[in-house]
Amino acid sequence: MGVATTRARNEGSVTLRDPAYLVDPAAIRYWALKSLVSGLISWVVIFVVYSFVIPDSWRVWAAPLAIALVLWDLVELAVVPRWRYRVHRWEVTTSAIYTRSGWFNREQRIAPLSRVQTVDSERGPLMRMFKLASITVTTASAAGPLTISCLNTDVADRVVADLTAITSRSEGDAT
Amino acid sequence: MTEDAGLPPNSPPPQGPAYDLPPPPVSAIDDWQRLSKRNIALYPVLSIGNLAVPLVIAFFIGGRGEGRFFSGPWFSVVAVLAAVLFGIVPWLTTRYRITDTQLQVRRGLLNRKVLTAPLDRVRSVDLESGIVHRVLRLSKVSIGTGVDSSRIDLDALTTTQAAQLQSYLLARKQSPATGSTATAHPIGMPSLANADVDTGSPARGGQHQETELARINWSWLKFAPFSLASLVVVAVVGGFGGQFIGDISVDEQFSAVEGGWDWLAGQALVVLVLAGVVAVIVGWLLLSTLSYVLTWWNLRLTRSGDGTLRLVRGLFTTKTTTVEESKVRGVVMTQPALLRTVKGAELSTLSTGVGNGGTTQVLPPCPREVAISVGHSVLEEEGSLTQVLAQHGKWARRRCHVRAQWGTVFGVVASGVATYFFALPVWLPAAVFVGWAALAVALAEASYKHLGHGITDQHVMSGHGTLGVTREVLERSGVIGWVIRQSFFQRRRGLATLVATTAAGSESVQILDIPLPLAMSLAREATPEAFESFV
Repeated sequence: MGVATTRARNEGSVTLRDPAYLVDPAAIRYWALKSLVSGLISWVVIFVVYSFVIPDSWRVWAAPLAIALVLWDLVELAVVPRWRYRVHRWEVTTSAIYTRSGWFNREQRIAPLSRVQTVDSERGPLMRMFKLASITVTTASAAGPLTISCLNTDVADRVVADLTAITSRSEGDAT
Repeated sequence: MTEDAGLPPNSPPPQGPAYDLPPPPVSAIDDWQRLSKRNIALYPVLSIGNLAVPLVIAFFIGGRGEGRFFSGPWFSVVAVLAAVLFGIVPWLTTRYRITDTQLQVRRGLLNRKVLTAPLDRVRSVDLESGIVHRVLRLSKVSIGTGVDSSRIDLDALTTTQAAQLQSYLLARKQSPATGSTATAHPIGMPSLANADVDTGSPARGGQHQETELARINWSWLKFAPFSLASLVVVAVVGGFGGQFIGDISVDEQFSAVEGGWDWLAGQALVVLVLAGVVAVIVGWLLLSTLSYVLTWWNLRLTRSGDGTLRLVRGLFTTKTTTVEESKVRGVVMTQPALLRTVKGAELSTLSTGVGNGGTTQVLPPCPREVAISVGHSVLEEEGSLTQVLAQHGKWARRRCHVRAQWGTVFGVVASGVATYFFALPVWLPAAVFVGWAALAVALAEASYKHLGHGITDQHVMSGHGTLGVTREVLERSGVIGWVIRQSFFQRRRGLATLVATTAAGSESVQILDIPLPLAMSLAREATPEAFESFV
């Protein structure tokens, strides 16, 4: 077994395929609206600080900084949601759950369903405007919750029901 | 044994703390029991001990005030009486009992509260006795149940009762379904019910056969000074000492000695610094050796036939930790920088449901071979602590170097700014650059050398460290899930940070900068069922 183990590892060309499903397209608008809200707040703060708080002599370097911050918010508003939509994916099979998230930095999470402890779904006020819901699956490890963000509420309800049915079948305390 | 609480025998036990439950009908065995009577002596002594400093201050300082209510002696007497009273109340109000399925603890005077722990969820039972406890021959029992949830403490039972309760609970959880105490353990509960008497040495794990995995060997004492933990203690003591010296030097304000002081200070400075260094070294040696002896006195790590690991240690405060072996999911062997220079190592276990972050140190600083062999016998697999780890290739090495050189950038910028503002010699930033960069190269090579991963038939391994080296070994079946994290720069080089999540220890084991294909095959091989449909 030990020798076979090493050989299997050295072949090393196993690749993980992408999770099968995209999130709901409305997620793009939801993410954009969310960054618009936080962007508006930060623009107000930048404006107030730049105009009233800092001394005039600082404007030399404060002006480019303020412009950069405003531009960054615009990028977050216009580019990041679309980028995110291309990255975010999810899949639930009868044996495991698999998610991918992030945009610049990415993260993939996999957990066998036999180790799932709770299944939560969440819909905030903004999410409700777009008929979206997020599902969080927790395991016995604090380091390992999986979140599928921005599913259509109907899909989310079905996934939660399926997950609950599958996980309630497994025995033991999942540690 | 009769039916407990009128519930059908197979009904699931209620979970979590319950409030104001009516006491269920009880049989002789199910009777509520008090803690040991000696607690009446224990609590006041402990609480007076905690209050000792304020009391002494009140006695002396308060004593100077005349005729006030809070004037010293009376206040102290009242405080002592209050301490005694507060000591008795917990004894009066705390009761516990063991039913067919649960351990129940009832406490509280006004807010009555019942804590229940299903017997088949008991993961670990620890005994602890401080000095006062030991004089009174008492032990504090703390029972770990859930994954992260708090533990149930019984403070305190007699040492005998505590040991019986410990072995009963651990033996009991082996056969939770039978519901029969008679077959579960020969010691049985009746003796627990009325035994407020010590009958000599604490009972061991009953009829179960014990295997000794480790025992303290005093030749290990030479490793004690190489642990940095004791350096912290010395530094703290040194800090106090420094303040004390600072207080003395207030004397220099006396004008009569002012001139002499300067001269004396000039002469004595060298001597003082030397003496200080010697004092710190001697203090370090003494303190580290002393704390090693106090903590690890009589260390025994045993495995008993009923599937538990037991750790006993301590001179004044004896500590017994017992954890179910199936909940021990791995070990961590650490070789801190200093200890590594003398080929020493420390060993901890990773387990679920033991509190303290799930990590229990089972070996003090000791020879590396000892840590390895004990680690292997805890893991029940040879090789996972010695196997040469697979390295992560040239891109991982380059990332080690890039990370290390950030410090150089900082150093050069800082020294450049300092040179500009304080008119320091112009060659300074260059010198800082050369020195710092060379050091960073050496450190980066070291951290690349120690970075690696591995897999055996039962475990996955992660190694990392620069001057000190750590190897984490996690049971494959203890892996709950995987996180594959890729920063933008890692993605460009086909690297990833692979995290195995687990319920044991610090909840995750991380492998940095592993090439993605290796990460995939490692994770897939360790937990095939999670990956079968995604490759």
